[in-house]
Amino acid sequence: MTDSTESPDLTRRGGLTRLKEGTYGGLFAACAAITLLTTAAIFVTLLSDAVVFFRSISIVEFLTGTNWSPNPAGGGQAFGIIPLLIGTLTVTFTAALISIPIGTLTAIYLSEYATPNARSILKPLLEILAGIPTVVYGYFALVYITPALKATLFPEMSTFNALAASIMVGIMTIPMVSSISEDAMSAVPDELRQAGYGLGATKFEVSTGIVVPASISGIASSYILAVSRAIGETMIVVVAMGAQARMPEIQEAAFGIPFINPADVLLESGMTITVAMVQITGGDLTGGTLPYNSMFALGLALFAVTLVMNVISDIIAQRYREEY
Amino acid sequence: MATDNPNADGFGEVSRVRGIAFEYLSFGASVFGLVALGVLLVYVAIDAFDLANASPEWLLTYFLTLVGPFLAFCLYSANDPEVTRRALGALGGGLVVVAALFSAIEAFVAPIPRLNWQLAYLFVVAAPTTAYLAYVGSRGRLGAVGFGLLGRLVGGVAIGLAVGTLFLVFDALLWFLAYTLGVLPAVGLYAFGRVRSAPRARTAAAPVGLVGLTAAVFLRDVVATYPSDLIIYLWTIAVPVAAAGALLVADRSGRTAGVLVGGLPLAVATAGGFLAAGAGLPAPTVLLVLVLTGVPTAAYVSRVVDVGEGVVGLALPFLLAAGVIVGALIVEALGVPAPDPWLDASYLTEAPSRTPSEAGLYPAIVGSVIIIAMVAVLSFALGVGTSVFLEEYTPESGPLGTLTRILQVNVANLAAVPSVVYGLLGLGLFANLLGLGIGTAVTAALTLSLLILPITIISAQEAIRSVPDDLRRGSDAMGATRWQTTKNVVLPEAMPGILTGTILALGRAIGETAPLIMIGAATTVFRAPDSLFSRFSAMPMQIYTWAGFPQADFRYGVVAAGVITLLIILVGMNGSAILLRNRAERGS
Repeated sequence: MTDSTESPDLTRRGGLTRLKEGTYGGLFAACAAITLLTTAAIFVTLLSDAVVFFRSISIVEFLTGTNWSPNPAGGGQAFGIIPLLIGTLTVTFTAALISIPIGTLTAIYLSEYATPNARSILKPLLEILAGIPTVVYGYFALVYITPALKATLFPEMSTFNALAASIMVGIMTIPMVSSISEDAMSAVPDELRQAGYGLGATKFEVSTGIVVPASISGIASSYILAVSRAIGETMIVVVAMGAQARMPEIQEAAFGIPFINPADVLLESGMTITVAMVQITGGDLTGGTLPYNSMFALGLALFAVTLVMNVISDIIAQRYREEY
Repeated sequence: MATDNPNADGFGEVSRVRGIAFEYLSFGASVFGLVALGVLLVYVAIDAFDLANASPEWLLTYFLTLVGPFLAFCLYSANDPEVTRRALGALGGGLVVVAALFSAIEAFVAPIPRLNWQLAYLFVVAAPTTAYLAYVGSRGRLGAVGFGLLGRLVGGVAIGLAVGTLFLVFDALLWFLAYTLGVLPAVGLYAFGRVRSAPRARTAAAPVGLVGLTAAVFLRDVVATYPSDLIIYLWTIAVPVAAAGALLVADRSGRTAGVLVGGLPLAVATAGGFLAAGAGLPAPTVLLVLVLTGVPTAAYVSRVVDVGEGVVGLALPFLLAAGVIVGALIVEALGVPAPDPWLDASYLTEAPSRTPSEAGLYPAIVGSVIIIAMVAVLSFALGVGTSVFLEEYTPESGPLGTLTRILQVNVANLAAVPSVVYGLLGLGLFANLLGLGIGTAVTAALTLSLLILPITIISAQEAIRSVPDDLRRGSDAMGATRWQTTKNVVLPEAMPGILTGTILALGRAIGETAPLIMIGAATTVFRAPDSLFSRFSAMPMQIYTWAGFPQADFRYGVVAAGVITLLIILVGMNGSAILLRNRAERGS
């Protein structure tokens, strides 16, 4: 696309050209530096306010406290993360119960059973599931899923509940599991499948006995990514799960074994780490107060957890990958 | 397949039940999420358009006047008896099956809330068949022309409205000066250099433009009298667009056609603008919409007429418009009860309200458009810069290679940071530390730009990587410097891919709510923002607020309409991204 009218310049390049080269190179490097700066800024922003927070509330108190009420009406703030962890774990676990089996089966279908035509239609359609804005999912959970569940399975369910939110988080994370797992399964060389058929294995046996074990590292890393996405999910739970930081009632079964009735957690409203952060923004946002700083402490916890999970998933995918 | 072998008796038997059950189970799993989403979308559409109250006569009228002719057009374009047979079979057979199944479920299992068999038929049979036929029809020459024209009309209206919205915030007078003093001379010089092959003039273009822009900023407050808004838009946008269209067409099919393509829409738009000013409508927006719709449409019509194939396809927009008008007339004449949709013109043009029937989304739409425009510019520039640096400027090995890898891992990790954490970054850094203000449009745009930056970078890198190395080597062999190779070879080749990735990432940004809440975006604003530093609301923010209202009219009506609006904009953006990618793939 160079102009043919320009005569070739065979002399040594002038200073202007060199300056131009350097300027553009520098500009691009500056753009790339912004990505590093973003990471640094996230760290510094979260840490600086979190450190102020931990000066007033000790880390032990934060991690073991069973009461979360940053803006109580009568005074007596409490910053214990345990109820929030229970909420987050409930949502994450229930969502994983949906997304992991369905996502894995989807991946097996796409890579082993689907015709090329079906795959080319299904794959982009599945990506839509991850592209719907999460606030829309939250609205669906609140307005359609909860009443439907209430009318059919759980009449005693409360309007804001963990179950509907978890179902939606699960559906949203299906494509994360399916697309990464499918990539891993498609990377399994055909020779392995042919060898299986040669030994008289059926298609089912080849799929579950050869392809899945051979791609297990990719599958595992997709699970971790999906779970980490579910942990950080905000809008679905904010809209559909309500905002009550509760400790579930611990009951005693036979022989005095303590247990928590899942219905107590799933059918009632709860609060996740992300919901707690959104809740605080309803108040003071200019900074300096304890609730404001606690938001950053929660953000730091969330950031650390998701970062660690991503690194682990990366390591699993890299280190335990079977090379063919 | 060992199990299919009929001669396998001698080797013993293998049960196929397990395998078949597993295949269907996995197929069911892969459509589970889609079916669930589909059902939810059907319900939200029924709520937004009040279809539950649509009488069967109303549905039938529009089915006959609007959908029927459209399907006939697609079938005529596809011109394939097999497709016709299949489509008619699906529509007819589907009617019987859905009606029977639906009645059976209603009678024996349980009534299905807010759904009747006509609606079920509409969504389960008619909508997929229409989509399939539109796809098949668009592959015929006739259909391609029809949909191309329709796309230009809709796209022109959308872009015109968006540009009109942007000038609510950006200073039109400053833009007038900047255009007159900076942009116009620079473009003129560059074009002159191009045509007369005078490299000096081209080199001078950039400095002249910069000087002009600087002068514009200084003169903004000095100049006392400005022309009216309508004249400014006419001079700075309508005339250049028309001129560009005219030049393009004149190049291809002669001077007369060029003058027609440029002049006719310009005249219509000018007349429309002045009429709108008389009628009290926002004249600049009318002018922009008319000219941005008219010029591409006219250019397209001229090309189709030149090519001479599928000219009949140009009738598609008229067919649809006639369908709507005739349908409305029949409904009016027969007195058929019509539904009262939540999503209507007043919903899109009015401010939020405490009464559901008066609530509107207008300020939130304006807020979203403004933020997305800024995010688009920022993330595109930063994303392209970073990906060019990573792909073209850094070596793969050596000490600098380590830097590349660090950058790469960093980008991948940033992509997985939860969006609330970006919200905290925006709150702590942009809003409080840099003092850009809590809940302002600038803070939101910067935060969202950083949020989608990793996605933009990753997709831009893929696009740059897919440019064949031969092209780079060829350019190098001609003595081009690295920047020249990048500018002349790599970026033009990779641009469709980069744009596709950026638009998809913008789709993510337009639906993000959590970061907006964290930076303190207003839950409800009653006036559209008028500067970059005014408090704003965005569409997802407004949906979030309304979803918390307890009244059923809000929950099932107003929010549903908002959700549909948001999803339509998303579908439009992603659809244009996919079209762009397909076109680029076909071209290469």
